[in-house]
Amino acid sequence: MDHSNKVNRRKFFRQLAGATGAAIALPYIIPASALGKEGATAPSDRIVMGVIGAGSMGTGDMRTFMGKPEVQMVAACDVDKSHREKAKSIIDANYEKSDARIYNDYREFLTNEKLDAVILALPDQWHGIIYIACANAGLDIYGQKPLARTIWEGQQIVDAVQKNNIVWQTGSWQRSVAQFHHAAELVINNRIGKVTHVEVGLPNGTPSQVHNPVQPVPEGLDWDMWLGPAPASPYRGVCHWNWRWILDYSGGQLTDWAGHHIDIAHWGLGLDRTGPVEIEGKGVYPREGLYDVPVEYFITSRYATGVEMTIANARRLEHGMGVCWYGDKGWIHVNRSGIWASDDKILAEKIGDDETKLYYSRDHAQNFLDCIRTRKETITPVDIAHRSISGGLLGEIAMLTGRKLKWDPDKQIFPDDPLANRLLRRPFRSPWKLKGN
Amino acid sequence: MKNKIIYLFILIALTAGLSTLPSCQSGSGNKTAYHALIVTGQNNHSWQESTPILKQILENSGLFSVDVAQTPKTGENMSQFKPDFSQYDVVVLDYVGDPWPEETRTAFEQYVSGGGGVVVYHAADNAFRNWVAYNQMIGIGGWGNRNESDGPYIRWKDGKTVRINEPGPTGNHGPQRAFQVTIRESEHPITKGLPKIWLHAKDELYQQLRGPAENLTVLATAYADTAKGGTGGNEPVLMTIRYGKGRIFHTTLGHVMGKGPFPAVECVGFIVTLQRGAEWAASGKVTQEIPDDFPQFNVTSRWPLFRPMNLDEILDQLREYKPGDNRMPEQDLTNLLRGQYNAGTFDEIEDQLLKFIIGNGSAAGKNYVCRELSLYGSENALPVLHKLMTKEPDVAEMARFAYERISGEYSN
Repeated sequence: MDHSNKVNRRKFFRQLAGATGAAIALPYIIPASALGKEGATAPSDRIVMGVIGAGSMGTGDMRTFMGKPEVQMVAACDVDKSHREKAKSIIDANYEKSDARIYNDYREFLTNEKLDAVILALPDQWHGIIYIACANAGLDIYGQKPLARTIWEGQQIVDAVQKNNIVWQTGSWQRSVAQFHHAAELVINNRIGKVTHVEVGLPNGTPSQVHNPVQPVPEGLDWDMWLGPAPASPYRGVCHWNWRWILDYSGGQLTDWAGHHIDIAHWGLGLDRTGPVEIEGKGVYPREGLYDVPVEYFITSRYATGVEMTIANARRLEHGMGVCWYGDKGWIHVNRSGIWASDDKILAEKIGDDETKLYYSRDHAQNFLDCIRTRKETITPVDIAHRSISGGLLGEIAMLTGRKLKWDPDKQIFPDDPLANRLLRRPFRSPWKLKGN
Repeated sequence: MKNKIIYLFILIALTAGLSTLPSCQSGSGNKTAYHALIVTGQNNHSWQESTPILKQILENSGLFSVDVAQTPKTGENMSQFKPDFSQYDVVVLDYVGDPWPEETRTAFEQYVSGGGGVVVYHAADNAFRNWVAYNQMIGIGGWGNRNESDGPYIRWKDGKTVRINEPGPTGNHGPQRAFQVTIRESEHPITKGLPKIWLHAKDELYQQLRGPAENLTVLATAYADTAKGGTGGNEPVLMTIRYGKGRIFHTTLGHVMGKGPFPAVECVGFIVTLQRGAEWAASGKVTQEIPDDFPQFNVTSRWPLFRPMNLDEILDQLREYKPGDNRMPEQDLTNLLRGQYNAGTFDEIEDQLLKFIIGNGSAAGKNYVCRELSLYGSENALPVLHKLMTKEPDVAEMARFAYERISGEYSN
């Protein structure tokens, strides 16, 4: 395929959106005469996408987007040969072709591919560098949560995405599910009165301890590239999926799930563009085995409005997994299994036309695609994603320091604890830098 | 001849309450709250190993001074074995063997019924099938040809302790493994505040114990998985029994056999419950704090020295540390430094850490200390870190990591 003659598709979408403005109704309607042979969007009008990080999450997202007729998936990048070859076979099988392109190095991927949008599903230590590289390349981004491994990296991602006018959707898909939307809308419209407290129950822990020895790197895995900016470490048989239990790459269940349930908690409170003003927490860190993320965590955050948030292992909370807001007139609890309230009548309440309506989406991927065309904000924009994960990362810092911390959510610093501020950022392993890649 | 002398020395050391194990931190010379006596000398386990460990554990609580009463060997004349139980607040039983003289048995019964404390440790519940009062004290026991005539099986079922009157074997276990202990009585002084479920390090899980089980409270059970040779029931592992005015703490945990290490007794869960159980048996109350590194539902936690390591011991281990080793010294350093910093005493130990990173330790050990310095280090650390950045390639990256965090000047 000759990419040099392709129009800058993103520019095309932007111009289209600019010309017709708000007149474009969602979903975007394409004249039947332009439909391709699949009865969908003509190939030339499709949103051209690729994926960086083609593991279980990346290929899952890839399949979701390939299920959209307006998407053309063309390339995959992964530092594991088996991952990228599998991604190619999935793409090729979907289009009954054999021209999907694969890469080991995201820099080559970005240089060679002319994409409209990219799916990013990487271990957390890579988020800062690659998210920003893609934003600077002008690609719209479907980025997996949590936004970043540190608060400072999150801030840099927000800046890059906003500066480049990137349409950003976070993989915080719960916002596009009816019960979460319903729960948050009831709460924000005072159906349980003034909220004083919210409990956020996250999964209980990690898999059992593993004591893996140092071992040869499997063939086809570029381990040094997988580590990227994380500290050098010999391979010990833990890479895909289970990287989540090692602090160099993740904060464990806490940071994995902050982008879901803290995100929803903030949404209902109307606090999703700010953060707490005070945090304290206690974590229990395993002393043996390779995994070092906390298996027990109990965090209390206080917001400027006075509302208090508890974030903890689900089994330590009254309602378990999910979000439970407590107001002076009742409570609402929501998770992936359902929605409950202190009184069923609360759940039957309708939200009036003059009340606060939260962003409506029932298809997270479609919402992203629609916004690529309209250039409007998605249901989970980057700055909200940053505040959702910050709720978890601040808890992590409170546990690591063992101190009650004051937080300035505007300046995003601990005003009176310089040592806690050190934890806002991690130096990268040479030669990786956040800027200039 | 030489062997005989060594043997004699060991015997003296044991009976005098000495041991070759790391000395206890609390200083046994200080006045302690309680006096404990460990009874040992015969066992179907390695009592020569377990008794000094039990002694360490009790002393490390800072609450006990510990004597050891050692019986003659199997088959030898027992008539002079007459410890004065009345001198002690708690008697710890690490004994399975020949019957004690009647006088001693009577004295022990009087000691317990009069309000004495007892800890029944692991195989001590295998002992003395035919001594009625002893079986009332241990509540339930196993082996020694016990059968349904000795009493019901005791298990936890549907939220309560159940007595199962059915024939069958008494006392056995599947292969040793780590298993979860579930607290069933969380308001008892011994168990109050412990995690509801914790993963006990590799041990035997005793099952199908039975006995009179009078005045017995099950504090904790473990599920004996049928896939691991278990009964499929929740078997009691921690119990209390009242005998007259006496208080008895019974733990089935703590298998010690052959040569160490012995994860079952290094388990912080075993150590802490033994210390708390002994204090309760001695006094009826528990004043000890629960350590932060108590095992959790899915992670074990051990103290190889039967107490937390101090900074010197941690650094000694880190000096030899290489990737792939057990992370214990790393995490212990992290926990210790957090505590030191928050107590305002980090300044006193920073030099020790700086000496360590320019010393002759392993790169992995130094890298870990650099990482910790990144969190707590002062400006004093900067020149040392800077030197490492240029002089030691294996440590240079982590030294830079620390340097940049401390100085706030990031290169990337």
